Amino acid sequence: MSLNRRDFVKLTAGVTGAAVAPQILARRASAADKNRVVFVSEESNPKAIAVYEKINADFEKETGIKVTMEYPGFANIAKRVATLIAAGTPPEIVWYGAGQAMNLALEDQLVDVGDLVKALGVADNQRMIYKGADRSIPTSQQFVYGWYRKDLFAEKKLEAPKSWEDYLRVAKALTDAPRIYGCIVPSAETGASTLLLETMFMKNDVHWFEWDAGKKQYEVSLDKGGNRKRAIETLDYLHELHKFSPEASNYNWGELMSTYVAEKAATSWYVGARLLEQVNANNARIADATVPFELPRKLTDHYYLSIQGFHILEKSNVEGAKKYVRFFMQHPSLIAWYHAVPLHIIPASREMLRSSKYQDHPVIQKRMDVLKFLDSVWGKGVPLYYWDGKELNPHIGLFHNENLAGWTLAARNIKGMKAEAVVDEAANQVRKKMRRAS
Amino acid sequence: MVAYLPIGYAIALSFVKKTAFSPVTTFSGLRNYRLIVEEPELWGALWRSLVFTAGAVVLQLALGLVAALLLNRAFRGRTFVRSIFVLPYLLPTIVVALVFQWLLNQEYGVVNQLLLESRLLTRPLNFLGGLDTAMWSVIATSGWQYGSFATLLILARLQAIPPKLYEAAKVSGAGPLRCFWDVTLPNLRTTLVLVALLRGIWMFNKFDTIWLMTRGGPLKATETLPIYAYRLAFEEFDFGMAAAACTVMFVILVAGAVVYFRLFDPSREVEVGR
Repeated sequence: MSLNRRDFVKLTAGVTGAAVAPQILARRASAADKNRVVFVSEESNPKAIAVYEKINADFEKETGIKVTMEYPGFANIAKRVATLIAAGTPPEIVWYGAGQAMNLALEDQLVDVGDLVKALGVADNQRMIYKGADRSIPTSQQFVYGWYRKDLFAEKKLEAPKSWEDYLRVAKALTDAPRIYGCIVPSAETGASTLLLETMFMKNDVHWFEWDAGKKQYEVSLDKGGNRKRAIETLDYLHELHKFSPEASNYNWGELMSTYVAEKAATSWYVGARLLEQVNANNARIADATVPFELPRKLTDHYYLSIQGFHILEKSNVEGAKKYVRFFMQHPSLIAWYHAVPLHIIPASREMLRSSKYQDHPVIQKRMDVLKFLDSVWGKGVPLYYWDGKELNPHIGLFHNENLAGWTLAARNIKGMKAEAVVDEAANQVRKKMRRAS
Repeated sequence: MVAYLPIGYAIALSFVKKTAFSPVTTFSGLRNYRLIVEEPELWGALWRSLVFTAGAVVLQLALGLVAALLLNRAFRGRTFVRSIFVLPYLLPTIVVALVFQWLLNQEYGVVNQLLLESRLLTRPLNFLGGLDTAMWSVIATSGWQYGSFATLLILARLQAIPPKLYEAAKVSGAGPLRCFWDVTLPNLRTTLVLVALLRGIWMFNKFDTIWLMTRGGPLKATETLPIYAYRLAFEEFDFGMAAAACTVMFVILVAGAVVYFRLFDPSREVEVGR
């Protein structure tokens, strides 16, 4: 290809401009405005937004600091934060899952918030510590647990499953395919499959990594010794269970709810109580018969715990952000924020969960059984980054964010690969990604 | 500047190590290209891109040709029917994707319902979730949506074929098939090649339809190069490698265009087409 002089000059100017522009922007934006806080929130529920507006107005009145909100939503929040950082204008605060925020911590983008963690009295199992400092201020959490149709169970004289054998037995008894299925085992490269596998791995004490005390680092252990054996056992169990589930090779969060709401499944599961909210909204007839159950144990009672919270970014108005977080957590409207999706986003503090002001809500009052259930499983959940040891595992993104865990389940249930081959391949994929990242 | 800046930036990005959450950019030479070429995923995605492109373009051409031939005939309400045929091309892709997701749904989809009722199936098929059916489902959707683009261009060309050519063929004893083979097809050659080129480029770069319908699944069965590049950028947050994947796509398309210009000299084709 030949270029004339004019085109060559244009091309060179373009490439140079592209390389230089972000640097210039970054320099211009480096000085954060002390009278402004940019707050990017994953929660975009209209009720939650109304609470944000109320608290922000009060905060501005008291401190003179204006809070600018952004609501990119669950699917886009990571991209939005990345864009803001790349442009040299990091937001002051990001509210989303601590597991996602860990990516920011690993790139040294989160400030130490130990002072706030101490002042707010955060429980030890909710902290996220990286390089010896707290990086997250937890506000709320979600547990992974199941939901079942009490009426259908009663018809067949069944009880909520307590063991893996029970679960398989009830799933089989309730299945009358294709009219109705006994369970839902999403087997796709999606978040839903990922979380189911990770929870069931926890139930069977399977670890992707183990801490090497000598090297002081995490090493892949999925395909080693007892871990490999238990991982294979878990995959084979989920393969059996999948026989009483819709095929589910493209199932994600929406399908977990819609299949249950449409009465095509007698049990389902979710992260939090949004499934119940959808049942209430779309098929109230089965709402009272929809009750929670703990996904059954094999070796442990642990489950995947998602903790959400505030994260304050470096090179931003850190003091303003800390003032805001303190103000937010002590504001009387905080309770209305927890009530935005009742029982779905549950408080980080058990005292708050048990308090009368939290329970003073018609949905919670009506479903005190759900609240009692949440209270009964409190403390058994583990965030993925602490599942493999006391040190924060920086590698979880290699299998969690890229849905490698989802692939693992899909490869066994949809492609029909042997569990042994799936486990070995998954472990090798993680090792390959570790080499690439380094 | 508007054209070159993003291309230049993407190419420059492919030579650096750049992750989403760090403002730091490190020059890494050809590292991204070396890593990406070593990835079996790249070659798998390239193969699926070719399958999707070829399948979708052939289907669009076939549907477009048949529809154009039908619409070129004289019948009552022809103008109305012609305008109906353009509709799929005017629909937003999100609407098409959602409608086809619903039509093809395993649990409550219309297609499964019809197939079950007509006893062609004994149990519902998971069209979008099946390893063997997902690619054909997205190809069929693209064929339906963009076939009307081919219809428009082919119909315009059909109307420009002088009727005397058909009259001469009929005088020589040619039947309808012979007329189609000896008169219609040679006159459509330029248009068909042009449509194939344009649709080929657009289908090779197609992201929205596939992403909205299958997100590249199940088990990467519909993961084409654009989706692979998207995953690298926004799921692995490795912008450098994603840019390298995009540059590879760009090079393939440029190579395709060069081959096209060599094989079918556009200026000569226009002359022939007149």
